[in-house]
Amino acid sequence: MQPPTGPALASAPESSAGAAPGSQLLRWQWREVQAPCLVAGWILVASLAKIVFQLSRKVTSVVPESCLLILLGLGLGGIVLAIAKRAEYQLEPSLFFLFLLPPIVLDSGYFMPSRLFFDNLGAILTYAVIGTLWNSFTTGAALWGVKQAGLMDKGVEAGLMDFLLFGSLISAVDPVAVLAVFEEVHINETLFIIVFGESLLNDAVTVVLYKVFNSFVEMGPVHVQATDYLKGVASFFVVSLGGAAVGLLFAFLLALITRFTKRVRIIEPLFVFLLAYMAYLAAEMVSLSSILAVTFCGICCKKYVEANISRKSRTTVKYTMKTLASSSETVIFMFLGISAVDTSKWAWDTALVLGTLLFILLFRAVGVILQTWVLNCFRLTPLDRIDQVVMSYGGLRGAVAFALVILLDGAKVRAKDYFVATTIVVVFFTVLVQGLTIKPLVKWLKVKRSDHHKPTLNEELHEHAFDHILAAVEDVVGHHGYRYWRDKWEQFDKRYLSQLLMRKSAYRLKDEIWDVYCKLNIRDAISFVDQGGHVLSASRLTLPSMPRRTSLSESSVTNLLRESGSGACLDLQVIDTVRSRRDKEDAVMHHMLCGSLYKPRRRYKASYSRHFISPSTQERQDKEIFQQNMKRRLETFKSTKHNVCSAKSKARLKKDGRKKQKKSVANTELPNGKPPRSVTWQQKAAAVLVAVDSDNEESDSSETEKEDDEGIIFIARAADEILQGKKASGGIRNKSLGTQLLRLAAWTSAQAHASSPLRPPQPRRTCPGRVTGATSLFTSPQKPPKLCQSTCKPRGSKASPRWRVSPHPPGLSQAHVPRRWLAQRRRKGSSRRDR
Amino acid sequence: MAAWQFLAIHYCFRHHNPEIIFKESFDRIPDLEFNPIRSKIVRAFFDKRNLRQAPNGLADEINFEDFLTIMSYFRPIEMNMDEEQLDHFRKEKLKFLFHMYDSDNDGKISLLEYRKVVEELLSRNPHLEKESARSIADGAMMEAASICVGQMEPDQVYEGITFEDFLKMWQGIDIDTKMHVRFLNMEPIAHCH
Repeated sequence: MQPPTGPALASAPESSAGAAPGSQLLRWQWREVQAPCLVAGWILVASLAKIVFQLSRKVTSVVPESCLLILLGLGLGGIVLAIAKRAEYQLEPSLFFLFLLPPIVLDSGYFMPSRLFFDNLGAILTYAVIGTLWNSFTTGAALWGVKQAGLMDKGVEAGLMDFLLFGSLISAVDPVAVLAVFEEVHINETLFIIVFGESLLNDAVTVVLYKVFNSFVEMGPVHVQATDYLKGVASFFVVSLGGAAVGLLFAFLLALITRFTKRVRIIEPLFVFLLAYMAYLAAEMVSLSSILAVTFCGICCKKYVEANISRKSRTTVKYTMKTLASSSETVIFMFLGISAVDTSKWAWDTALVLGTLLFILLFRAVGVILQTWVLNCFRLTPLDRIDQVVMSYGGLRGAVAFALVILLDGAKVRAKDYFVATTIVVVFFTVLVQGLTIKPLVKWLKVKRSDHHKPTLNEELHEHAFDHILAAVEDVVGHHGYRYWRDKWEQFDKRYLSQLLMRKSAYRLKDEIWDVYCKLNIRDAISFVDQGGHVLSASRLTLPSMPRRTSLSESSVTNLLRESGSGACLDLQVIDTVRSRRDKEDAVMHHMLCGSLYKPRRRYKASYSRHFISPSTQERQDKEIFQQNMKRRLETFKSTKHNVCSAKSKARLKKDGRKKQKKSVANTELPNGKPPRSVTWQQKAAAVLVAVDSDNEESDSSETEKEDDEGIIFIARAADEILQGKKASGGIRNKSLGTQLLRLAAWTSAQAHASSPLRPPQPRRTCPGRVTGATSLFTSPQKPPKLCQSTCKPRGSKASPRWRVSPHPPGLSQAHVPRRWLAQRRRKGSSRRDR
Repeated sequence: MAAWQFLAIHYCFRHHNPEIIFKESFDRIPDLEFNPIRSKIVRAFFDKRNLRQAPNGLADEINFEDFLTIMSYFRPIEMNMDEEQLDHFRKEKLKFLFHMYDSDNDGKISLLEYRKVVEELLSRNPHLEKESARSIADGAMMEAASICVGQMEPDQVYEGITFEDFLKMWQGIDIDTKMHVRFLNMEPIAHCH
């Protein structure tokens, strides 16, 4: 064995060093490690090649990676051939079908945009079933015609059945090749899903045709009876529906299993891969369509699995799946190149090769045009000419065809060598020539590209509204169309399936709009932290003594954030404009301190567990900073949202801030300058109330208009920061106080909400009624003492155990700040109202 | 709309009510019951803006022509439409949605109106409270403001989404498949029997 894979060779001796018997210090154990070593080596070579390709942007923007990999494979194969004098390696069908193909199919099934897929299922199925049947029969028959016409070499000993067999394996569009090429082209989603969905779903047809014709060839055409044809037709339904059923079954199992993995988070991602692989193997075992099984398993389980597993597991699943699929794809294309070098299997016949190339292109185009013509009578959005051109040109053949042709029995199918050569040429032609030219073609034809925009909340809302409107219209007219059934399915899913397959905690919060909202919130928060990290960190922030300080004006942070493109950041200006400069300095200093001065309380647990990942200190710190930022943001967001961009907020709040500043000097230091740990809770509670009172006094006396927001912001912030501070200082005994303060804050803001709907969103300059708005609600004579009481209730009292419930609602991950925080706050708010 | 579709719908219409439809007739449609934004949709059928009648407000009853006018909002696009027609088409469809949101006819979707819509949209999920619906609406409003106005001055006020803003938000989003109903078979007739 003399593989050209340096790394594999180099690592071999080391791995054997430990197992040296008595007299020998080292023993050469290449044989033992040969197989895994070769596998690892090849993957390494392919991955390194990818790095090299990506070095040059110019090349990769023109040439698809699959082409480069095939060429690399050709080169490597040539080297191996030159050294070993015979081709050592080639794409083994069993290896391909059992190990290389499943990850790619799983990846594409799992990340398939299911809505788009099911919306276009009719078209996809038509192209996959009828199109593939049409292609294989016409190609096979036409080739047979060429043979009959005497244009082919005498050596091609093949009858009609052989040609039909060949036609069946050569006509199927290959998912691997399509994915590899189309991913770089970025055509619009509908077109992509049709071509790609076809390539996935045609597997059933290909498998059936291949098996049926293979058995016909083996039996000999003479012995084929009418019942065999019927069996072939029947087996199509069995294979396709059976494959899909296996997939659904395993998807169900998988979803059910992940419902109960709460305590074994670390192996959670494994279930996804194992069950999907089992689905593949199970389908393969009973000779059903394994690709269909995995595809449907992936599509159907995703919703429930994603809801059940933790966020980290989700990331793990995603990355592992992508890594596996990408490396399989790389290896497949490289080995396609390497296998082509093996000339011993080649038998060239020009007529066969050219005929096949011509026919697959021609018949695919004809088939697409015919089917589209029929389909357009039914589709809502007709596929136009350009779409048809792309679809017919995008019918790439790939490794599946190659593996199938290698699997042919040379003794039975005498023209196997010719078929192998033709297949290799076809695969190379489609991947290299069509893959290279499809990008310029798409550009030239001005095919509608996909627009990569992030999902917006409005879009999601409107889409749901549309769905409901359409379902309603179908109901009104009494027409049971696609939307009617989708609506029914969604109801069924909500009522039974989701309840069965999702964790309670996950199910409760499962709503698409809510999901998008949370995602957007997190995205904004992350971008805020990214940017805000600068704002709050020393690099961005000059020390108070420096003159540059003044340049950090109110709008700068907001502008910074706006430039970063975060959508819901508008409210952020409130953070910045709320305070006077001095006040802000304090706040900034406070945050700086609070962000970096809290380490000592951490105690390292010297424990290591294989089953649980303990977050590292850095990570925890990051998370906490993130949480604090997020909390602050959300809180401002919540309490100022009634007046989106209040015109007056700036000036008013500034005054307010200064006022608070004074107050805070008076009673310890208040809202922003966080008090030292020694401050007792009475002081703080008093401070909060005093501050509120002072707000009120001032508003009564001097201000013409007064919005209730400030007080609420103020309380909420104060309470929150206190809570945060207490939590941070590790004082569990103070938690109930903090929670109570938070409760107070939540209650006051709830009051504000209760009063806010009456107010038009735009602020009014003078509004006499406003003075006695919500502000008076909690500063009225009776209320404050009551609140104060409840806030200051001693720890032993009845209520406090109730409030001391862990601040994290069950099932929500720690890092899921917005949701968690909202839930927490909501709970406090509602409980308070109950009383 | 093809002639037979017209006939089918007409047949159905007759079945529901010989001459005119009142609001109550919609209550008798069983499938509509589960629709979270049912009231809004039913309202849209009687909205004079959608019926292309001059005065704003709600009609008490609609006749068959009105019904067809509403239905025409859901026409699928034809192959032979040119750009201008498509644009007009798109605008009409979006107008329908806009009118549904803008319940007080002032040409603006205010925050309150938006909140109501979102609350209704989410009302089918018992676990999401009003508070979260509200914050979603607020987030959406802010997003709309940032899309439509862009850089806002600190003292600038965003009053609500106008139709122009609404169009702006939909820019680049493909609604071709989202607002169409194609009545494919003669099932309506069978259903109406």
